[in-house]
Amino acid sequence: MADSSTPESLGSDSGGKHLNTPLVGWDAFSATYKVMFIEEFRENLDFAKKRRIMLFPLLVALVTMVATIGLQFLVGEGAAQGSDSLSDSSSFSWQEMRFALHLPLLMFSLGMGSFAFLGREKVLARTGTKNYLLASPALQPLTNSTAHFAYFMKDLSYYVMLILTPVISGMAIGIALESFTNVNTPLEFSSLPRTWIAMVVTLAQGLAFSFIASSLWLLGGWIGRFTPIAVIALGTAIGLGILPRQYFLWGLSTQQPDGLIIAIPALGASIFLAWVASRLVRDDFEVKVVSKKEIFLPAWNRLGFLGNGTLRLLVAKEAVDLIRSGSLKKMIISYSVPLIVLLLMAWLVDFAEAPIPINLLSYAPFLGFFGFNFYSWLTALDSPEHMNGLPLGVPQLIRAKVTVYFLATTWISVIFLCLMAWKLDEWAALPVGLVVMIANSIYIVCLTAFLMGLAPNKAIFDAKVMSWFWIGTVIPLLSLFLLSFTQGDVSFYENWADQVGDKGLDAEAVEFDNDRMAAGFKGILWVSAGLVGAALLLMKLLDRKWGRAEFNN
Amino acid sequence: MPAREESLVVAKDLGKRYGDFIALHPLNVDVSSGEFFGVFGPNGAGKSTFIKLLTGQLRPSIGGVEVLGINAAKDPQKLKANIGIVPESESPPSYLTPSEFLQFVGKLRGIEDLDNKVEYWMDWFGLDEKRDTMCKDLSKGQRQKVMLASAFIHEPRLLFLDEPFANLDPIYQRKCRQWLLDLVARGGTIFLCSHVLEMAERMCNRMAIINNGKVLAAGTVKELKNSENETLEDVFIRLVGHSIEEAERLEDEEASEEE
Repeated sequence: MADSSTPESLGSDSGGKHLNTPLVGWDAFSATYKVMFIEEFRENLDFAKKRRIMLFPLLVALVTMVATIGLQFLVGEGAAQGSDSLSDSSSFSWQEMRFALHLPLLMFSLGMGSFAFLGREKVLARTGTKNYLLASPALQPLTNSTAHFAYFMKDLSYYVMLILTPVISGMAIGIALESFTNVNTPLEFSSLPRTWIAMVVTLAQGLAFSFIASSLWLLGGWIGRFTPIAVIALGTAIGLGILPRQYFLWGLSTQQPDGLIIAIPALGASIFLAWVASRLVRDDFEVKVVSKKEIFLPAWNRLGFLGNGTLRLLVAKEAVDLIRSGSLKKMIISYSVPLIVLLLMAWLVDFAEAPIPINLLSYAPFLGFFGFNFYSWLTALDSPEHMNGLPLGVPQLIRAKVTVYFLATTWISVIFLCLMAWKLDEWAALPVGLVVMIANSIYIVCLTAFLMGLAPNKAIFDAKVMSWFWIGTVIPLLSLFLLSFTQGDVSFYENWADQVGDKGLDAEAVEFDNDRMAAGFKGILWVSAGLVGAALLLMKLLDRKWGRAEFNN
Repeated sequence: MPAREESLVVAKDLGKRYGDFIALHPLNVDVSSGEFFGVFGPNGAGKSTFIKLLTGQLRPSIGGVEVLGINAAKDPQKLKANIGIVPESESPPSYLTPSEFLQFVGKLRGIEDLDNKVEYWMDWFGLDEKRDTMCKDLSKGQRQKVMLASAFIHEPRLLFLDEPFANLDPIYQRKCRQWLLDLVARGGTIFLCSHVLEMAERMCNRMAIINNGKVLAAGTVKELKNSENETLEDVFIRLVGHSIEEAERLEDEEASEEE
């Protein structure tokens, strides 16, 4: 023995007599959960400095505080949160405000919860330079189910800690300011615990739904094929009100008067769903060794329009990664499902009757928003560290990923907009709609790439990056969204913001205004041109920001 | 100490294929307690697939395997709790420190007196100074030490090692070799995959040479040699070289048949 103080052998005896019993159930879950929490925090810390991570909840609290003070303009100063009687003429109702709180939260959690996909990717990538606890069942006495369930609980508690609790704190600060300043807010301290619980329910529900959908998809066969169809049907039915949305937005139901009692079963149901989803994750650690037809050179040959430089080579390489990793199918489906739901809703509902005059041009800016998710996915396909030894720079790879994003998704958005134009009978607006969509798409993905480089999943908790991302996206998107109301065959609400502020949903339309329509049209084109210009500038500035960075995601 | 000559690893007609590609042709293996068994072969020969099948990381396409009396395909979790695995290329989790990772694997295995054991192996591998460093920031050799420590920490009776010393410096190569030999002397069993033939001569009681997923020869080092003058490298080249020539000949035949 090399050292005299060697611990006693724990060796087991197949004869029987003493075999180690691996941790199971709660013990295995809690041991895994704790270290996963540490891992998550360190991973986010890896991108930004500790101070900036710590600032993230403060930033969320600050934004919520401002929103809390601004609530009075939307629901009226004297409104008490428990009252729903204010859906009269002067403001949005509390029910609408709650819906506006829970729906984006649900969408966010749906986007973050596909843990079965994530786990599979970690397993496949574990022989690279990075490894994660989610892949540890391959070597350690731990089931994939336990690891995935621990991951779900870790993510749920992490988001509650880093996002939801700061949101509630921001509301509390907003309310507290009433005592020191002249500001007013209709929110009350007593409503905050319920709001917090309701948001936790929505978050848990979204993560669980997404988790189980990804688990069912990975089962393959008819179940895998049926899953996206079921998601589209369910989303459309809820959107159209065929299925009452309070049944599917459990957090919203929790926030109703007397709804608090729903919180425990709703949270229990979400956790149970996640547990079922984790049971569906198989202990499959196989990395399929299959020979593949050569596609790199064929891909490169088809990219002649990119010239003969590095961009063409890198785009071809990224395209091969995208196809071989099996991510292309997943990405296209994730990108298409919400669009199909919107389309089906448009097919069945006359949006011209909606309180806000939505038209084709209103959709176009928001298509670009999917760019963030898609770009994040592209950066997670493979570790780029092998490129550190190659005569390449990080900006070149970023530009290639942006190009791949554009090539891989634009056709979906174009088809969607054409179908929308057909349904809404707004063919005349289609060319401008395409311009707006493409401009936004390019701009959002360039902004994401510029701010977050090759690690958008880590950067989302960097307060500085997120501040710029919010500023950079909200202003142009909101401008285009509002300008879109000047177009189409719906009447323009003159001074729309004032009218809604005064009369809420009872705001009245005024005469169709050709001059304003023409001005709005110019405005849309100018903003779009500005976005394209900004995107090009950001691509130029990539060298300055990321020129000396290491290849690392 | 357990009785010798007890079969710890028993594989019957064990094989693995991916579609048309045969990663491992059906084979039988019987490794007894107290053996240092080595599987040698060139890169891509099927060694890692073999070790993954034996340790429950892969499900066999045909046949079955029992290790320590546990069916590897049916109860991989129980098996992993009782063996140590050092994979060829896997790193410890990037964002944990070495001691955190050892605490984690120790807890999963239900090891008693875990804090002392973690300290012991941190010290043994000279990782004390890297106590607060995340694994992603360690050198390749240091990451390998963490993986070795995670396999040794419960001092299992049976260890599966896939190119275990590839990134270690000579000092730790020697230290680990000695520890493994001591383990075998105490009744432990080692199943090792490598292409470094020197290890076979120095450490293995029995060995097998595989290529293209097929066992070409198996036995003691002495049994594999045609003569006393023949080195193990000669044996390897004789067997594997011949195998490669045979594969090329078969490929040529198939190509000419297609024409």
